[in-house]
Amino acid sequence: MDIGVLIGIFIGAALVNNFVLSTFLGICPFLGVSRKVDMAFGMGCAVTFVMTISGIVTWLIVHGILTPIGAWLGNPESLYFLKYVTFIMVIASMVQLVEMYLRKFFPSLYTAFGVFLPLITTNCAILGACLLIDMNEIYRASLLKSTVFAFAGGIGFMMAITIMAGIREHLRFSDVPKALRGPAITLLTACILSLAFMGFAGMGK
Amino acid sequence: MAEENGSNLQQFVDGIIKNNPVLVQLLGMCPTLAVTNSVDNALVMGAAVIFVLVMSNMVTSLFRHLIQPHVRILVFTLTIATFVTIADLVLKAYVFEVSKKLGPFVPLIIVNCIIIARAEVVASRSGLLRSLADALGCGLGFTLALTLLGLVREVLGAGSITLPGWRILLCDPKVFEPHAWVIMIMPPGAFLTLGVVIGIITQIRMRSARGGA
Repeated sequence: MDIGVLIGIFIGAALVNNFVLSTFLGICPFLGVSRKVDMAFGMGCAVTFVMTISGIVTWLIVHGILTPIGAWLGNPESLYFLKYVTFIMVIASMVQLVEMYLRKFFPSLYTAFGVFLPLITTNCAILGACLLIDMNEIYRASLLKSTVFAFAGGIGFMMAITIMAGIREHLRFSDVPKALRGPAITLLTACILSLAFMGFAGMGK
Repeated sequence: MAEENGSNLQQFVDGIIKNNPVLVQLLGMCPTLAVTNSVDNALVMGAAVIFVLVMSNMVTSLFRHLIQPHVRILVFTLTIATFVTIADLVLKAYVFEVSKKLGPFVPLIIVNCIIIARAEVVASRSGLLRSLADALGCGLGFTLALTLLGLVREVLGAGSITLPGWRILLCDPKVFEPHAWVIMIMPPGAFLTLGVVIGIITQIRMRSARGGA
């Protein structure tokens, strides 16, 4: 396995095709939980964690359960219509499991993530990562590459939401036109951030 | 009975204008930003959401007495996932090109907050007709908002209006090309357009509130 390919995938998913700023996944928490830097960072860590795990688990389910049973029934793809239902079930139960595991073995981490974990089930970045992995030939062929992709996606999300929170903390002290206060100015800020991230285009893959 | 019909109509109209899911309630932002780079994407996405919303609201409303409160979110999600699978297969069969462009955003309707919010707020508490009116209203409101954004972005960025099936060029591409505002059909344009539209709507609401008071 060439380490350069993995680095390429990492840069591609975290910077060039940043989940939030160029693929538009996970916009709801990006607008909702980006008021304070520490909250945003906590949310970012929780998302990275769950995204990596559910990326691995959904890959294993598609290639270890759905495909073999489908093949046994005659056509490897005959059970693929179950994918979406499976993915959302896996994510919901992964969130539950992670929450229970953290509470038991890492209580300090649990208190840090605590509030954000239940929110993650409906975070479209997680389901989006699983779907993107499933739609791409390269990731479908290799579990390691999928894992790196999911992890990098989470890191990209964390970066975007933390930067946004930093900007919004400063924005509180500035004189924003009345009509633009709230979501509108956040979206306009995101526009400029997204422009900045377009500078990464062409790097990696 | 007549009164109830009136309130159903009200529910329908509210979903389009007063409680517009995208522009007023700010729900379902991911597809709003991601698929509005052309009008046909926006329309197909809107149609898929209307279908899923109507079906899931109807099913939730019919089974509302059977669903236990503590598993309701799971039941809603699985209902939605089932109908999204159907919508995805239909789109792949009949409008393959657009469905390819929409990519993961068709399956992502599963986690679209609009649909879960409508199931939770309206369908799990009211009868079939009211849920249906609400679903149609919200779905149309969503589609209208998406089409508006798609129209602004495509006209400024590509100088054309694409409808499923054919493409209207507003001006000679050779003349338009050097002046095209390409950024509008790229990711930053989505944030810019939505930010400005929400700003304008807030302004209008503030002014009408002042005028009304």
